[in-house]
Amino acid sequence: MLRKLTPYFFVAPLMIFIAVFTYVPILTSLNLSVRQWNFLTPDMPFVGLHNYEELFASAEFWNSLKVTVLFAVLSVPLRLGAALFIASRLIRETLSSRLLRGAFFLPSVTSTVSIAVVFSWVFATDYGMVNAILHLVGLGRPQWLQDPYLALWVLIIVNTWRQLGYDIVIYIAGLQAIPQELYDAAAVDGGQRFHVFRRVTLPLVMPTTYFLLIIAVIEAFQVFTIVNVMTRGGPAGATDMLVNLLYEIGFELFDIGRGSALAVILFVLLVGLALLKSRIIGSKVHYEA
Amino acid sequence: MIRKLHSTIAASAFALFAAVGTAEAATTVKFWHTFSKTNGEALNKIIASFEAAHPDIHVEAEFVGNYNDLVAKLQAGIPARRTPDAVILEITRYGLFANNNVLTDLTPYFAADPLKDDLYDYAREIGVINGKNYVVPFNSSTPVLYVNKDIFARAGLSADTPLKTFDDVLKAAKTIQDKLGAEGISGIGAPGQFARWGLVMSNDSELIDPKTNKILLDKPNTIEAYQWMASLVSQHKVASPDGVTDEDKGNAMFMAGKVGIDMDSTGSYGGRKKALGDNLLVRPMPCNKVCSVPIGGAGIGIMASSPKEVQDAAYTFVSYAASPEANAAWFAATGYLPINKKSAALPVAVKALESQPGIDVAINSLPYAHGRARATFVTWMRTTEYKVWQSIALGQRKADEALKDFAEQTRKESQRTGN
Repeated sequence: MLRKLTPYFFVAPLMIFIAVFTYVPILTSLNLSVRQWNFLTPDMPFVGLHNYEELFASAEFWNSLKVTVLFAVLSVPLRLGAALFIASRLIRETLSSRLLRGAFFLPSVTSTVSIAVVFSWVFATDYGMVNAILHLVGLGRPQWLQDPYLALWVLIIVNTWRQLGYDIVIYIAGLQAIPQELYDAAAVDGGQRFHVFRRVTLPLVMPTTYFLLIIAVIEAFQVFTIVNVMTRGGPAGATDMLVNLLYEIGFELFDIGRGSALAVILFVLLVGLALLKSRIIGSKVHYEA
Repeated sequence: MIRKLHSTIAASAFALFAAVGTAEAATTVKFWHTFSKTNGEALNKIIASFEAAHPDIHVEAEFVGNYNDLVAKLQAGIPARRTPDAVILEITRYGLFANNNVLTDLTPYFAADPLKDDLYDYAREIGVINGKNYVVPFNSSTPVLYVNKDIFARAGLSADTPLKTFDDVLKAAKTIQDKLGAEGISGIGAPGQFARWGLVMSNDSELIDPKTNKILLDKPNTIEAYQWMASLVSQHKVASPDGVTDEDKGNAMFMAGKVGIDMDSTGSYGGRKKALGDNLLVRPMPCNKVCSVPIGGAGIGIMASSPKEVQDAAYTFVSYAASPEANAAWFAATGYLPINKKSAALPVAVKALESQPGIDVAINSLPYAHGRARATFVTWMRTTEYKVWQSIALGQRKADEALKDFAEQTRKESQRTGN
């Protein structure tokens, strides 16, 4: 009996941890999403799907969804493309490669708030470093954080810069796992550099790309700190992404019901996207050379 | 030798337990506030002098960010039962907590406190909702107009340049921009929310009627004031758009000597004086159609959830913070308005009035200073106003259209919250 129970004892701490910090909050959000509450009242009246109806009827929600999707569509390929390119250049175990890997990884372990504050000054219109340089060479002063299109690009650039190091490290591991004999065979066959990359490297690094794609899309849909510190969703909602809107509704407008409904929608959206990716791309991923 | 060692250990243990016993006997009041830098230092001095005078009370003060951050943290802390005992609450936003029975009704404390007769009428009034006292005033303010004297002089403007109407202010800002814009100096800072409220009032309007809670966001004079404010950024380009998307950035640039004129709370006087020294000139807010400024700042409320003995200790601190001694020190260090009639006569305040020119500008504007609405929906309105302002100032929406929509949304929110 005890022997049968032993494995359960071993997994129990983790199961309890996951239950308390993952499943309980999900179920609580689900419950709150059908109630009206502002944190202060003892009552939480049941309102059915009213919070969802309000969200679907609001322009802010659709704007937010559009901005988030745009952010993901633009930032994820940029992130992964840049990471794969840099990783392929830093794959050799030399001192300079190691130093550069460290340099690229540094932003991943730096406080996101600090990064956002520094970049909000770097991209300031009248007092920023970027515009000081552009002005010097006669290119004017773009309103980086005030122009609705540029503001989104600034967030993409800053987010890519922050996440790039992590992606590079994972890609280097993936590239190093590709057997050398495949490259040797390709060389014997007279394969050009680009063709070797397309026919050998890219397919064999696909499991890593697939993993990073899932992580990057989830992160793109959950991006918050950079948005909240740098633009607070502005100018006038141009960078108001889903989690920032969720924070605004829940913690600035104190509509916990509507905020929770948005959290549930985000959850469903991410699960749906993961399933879709597994259907479309998952079947094309090969884990053995 | 061993005996001596035992005696020493016993004595030390006794002293340690006695110290622990004393520490346990003191009542701890957890206090959340919004003051950092110059103002934070001044508050810490007040707390230190309070604790010296009341050794049985320990005030555990914590800076939790700006007024918005504090409201968000307090609201999230309530269901988690992780709230302080006393809390600074901005005067247009404590209605949310008072109306939901989160704050202690301080009327009985206040009625028995001689302090009530010492407070100015304007200060006493800001703590009252529906005839009950929920906060005791601490840091009261009005917006004022700050000028960088050095920038004015370099632009060929005298310290007496008229700044009474919107046209006067725009003219001065344009002069600065034309003459010094190439050096990276802006004519004026984009007005922050408190200044925007003041400029609407000086245009003979209001955002919300403080007596009836009627929403006046789409009143023609309100729209006109917003149009003028937005024109500083988008049309005349005398104000940097950086201050539109980040008010703190606008303030920082004034203090760095990069902006000629800036409108902000008198409570930032201390920090600005420290930054600009004798180059700081303080002038009253414009009186475009009328002279009228909003009263801002915050008071200290006590949480209804705290035990009675902690509430009593918290009130002792709250009352001390509004006393003549504490208030005079606070006024001299920060520039916030005196709230206690007796504080102006104290040496520290007299010295400040003599040695810090401009610190009295807000005091002189009190005859035309008015309290603002503090209904529950005001918190929502103030949060949403930032987006509306950005869209107008950055030229994405016309002021009349944006403000009419905003007024409608605010009316709906007002109905939803039952105000």
